[in-house]
Amino acid sequence: MPKAIFIDTTHCTACRGCQVGCKEWKNYPPVPTKQLGTHQNPPDLGPYNVKLVRFSEHLEGDTVRWYFFPDCCRHCVDPPCKGASSVEGGIIQDAATGAVIYTELTAKDDLETIRGACPYDIPRQDPKTKRLIKCDMCIDRIQANLLPMCVKSCAMGAMSFGERADILKQAEARLEAVKKEFPKASLLNKDEVAMIYLVADEPAKYYKFAVAEAPSPMTRKSLLAGVFSPLRRMAKSMQG
Amino acid sequence: MPTPALETPAALRAIETSLSRAMTEMPALVLLLGAFGPLLVERAWLREAAPGWIGPGPVVDADRFAQGVFVLADSGFQDMSGHLPGAAARLLPVMARSFPALEPEITVLAAALDSGALSPEALAAAGFGEPVSVPGVSAQTLNFVASELTRPFVERQAQDLAALVKGLPWQQASCPVCGGAPNMSVMRRIRDESEFIQAHGGRRFLRCSSCSTEWTHKRVSCPGCGCEEPEDLLVLRDPARPYERADACKRCKSFLLCLDCGELAEAPDPDVAALTMIALEAQARREGFTPLAEHPWSGL
Repeated sequence: MPKAIFIDTTHCTACRGCQVGCKEWKNYPPVPTKQLGTHQNPPDLGPYNVKLVRFSEHLEGDTVRWYFFPDCCRHCVDPPCKGASSVEGGIIQDAATGAVIYTELTAKDDLETIRGACPYDIPRQDPKTKRLIKCDMCIDRIQANLLPMCVKSCAMGAMSFGERADILKQAEARLEAVKKEFPKASLLNKDEVAMIYLVADEPAKYYKFAVAEAPSPMTRKSLLAGVFSPLRRMAKSMQG
Repeated sequence: MPTPALETPAALRAIETSLSRAMTEMPALVLLLGAFGPLLVERAWLREAAPGWIGPGPVVDADRFAQGVFVLADSGFQDMSGHLPGAAARLLPVMARSFPALEPEITVLAAALDSGALSPEALAAAGFGEPVSVPGVSAQTLNFVASELTRPFVERQAQDLAALVKGLPWQQASCPVCGGAPNMSVMRRIRDESEFIQAHGGRRFLRCSSCSTEWTHKRVSCPGCGCEEPEDLLVLRDPARPYERADACKRCKSFLLCLDCGELAEAPDPDVAALTMIALEAQARREGFTPLAEHPWSGL
């Protein structure tokens, strides 16, 4: 049964508990960072930061509106990155959960192709191992019947984990309630991803890649990447 | 009183999923899980089909209830003896397969029930601990079988009765429906849509050993004696399974198994969870603590 995570950004206070919890569980090392005039830290996703709470400020009249977006892999139902991969077994999708997993074989894959195929600009590369890195939905925890670390860490109850069908029902019900106060509220690409975000305003105000570039996550770029991936695989196998 | 269908297939799925996971995670318990698992599943099927409380429920005086008078204090569960022959036809073969050592006695018991030597009323009485004797069947076996046969009907009636007192204050460590002692506690995270920080620990629910009703209770306190002194309250656990523990009290020397669902993706069935905690139970007993109430497999 596929799983899903509901991220209700109307409850998010940007405490970054999910970000820190993720980094702790993965035992990722600290990274140098920069102060860029925002509370967002580090400035972007990286090989040792696969979960990042993005901050975005907007001045509307006299009111400053502050938007928070806990960004990470959406675990697409039909992942374009998997289609774009030219390494057999590099990117796999766990049948039990639907989680999209990057294995150590991704070290042989091309970052720009994989990243370019992702409609949410998620994949990064470990500079030491060359392995491609992103959120794995805490597959190790899920297999041990534990909540993903971000869900467990969320102090505000903004995240829920469960069966996809149940999570979709929960998300729809919450959307209906939120829409009474925020008519522009929506669920982002809910039919195409396992990380289902509820935002109260236009998605672009949260983050450039909050929604997929096109209605379907299969962008022209990823479509082309998918079409040519068998050829690339063949070429790689011939090269050894 | 209308009888809503409270037992859903989801509860059955939870038992089967929990059993399957437990067998994978704890191969040493495969025999135990293989023996009690089919019994739990069959009991759940019977519970789903059971009639529940028939007719108007007992009148609940909110003031008396708040003072600790449980729902069935003045009466008892409704007679379910008419359903026991049908339940026996389903459950006894399962029990005979699961517990081969008891198979001869179970066969004698089934024959006694078929021939009328053991009436359904007497069987129901045995299920509630009344002294009943059947030649060729030990008192212990009769009590075990009879209580397993009556339990689905008791649990189903209790589901209806618990709905009568939902939301009413209850601060006792005994069951608000039947007054039974708890044999298990469960920490559950309750989702709410408030704008405030939410507790990660979850609320503590005690679970009745007789009718499986759950009710909330103080988180840090001994249900046996009410002790709240941290130095007297002991937690026994296996570091490999931190969500399972035995909460023991040095003051009254009792213990209660506890399943902490706060971090779990899917809450296991509490009976299956109690089965997987049999080693913790044994550890608590070795350290001189006694359970507040037992499971059928306690002490094995």
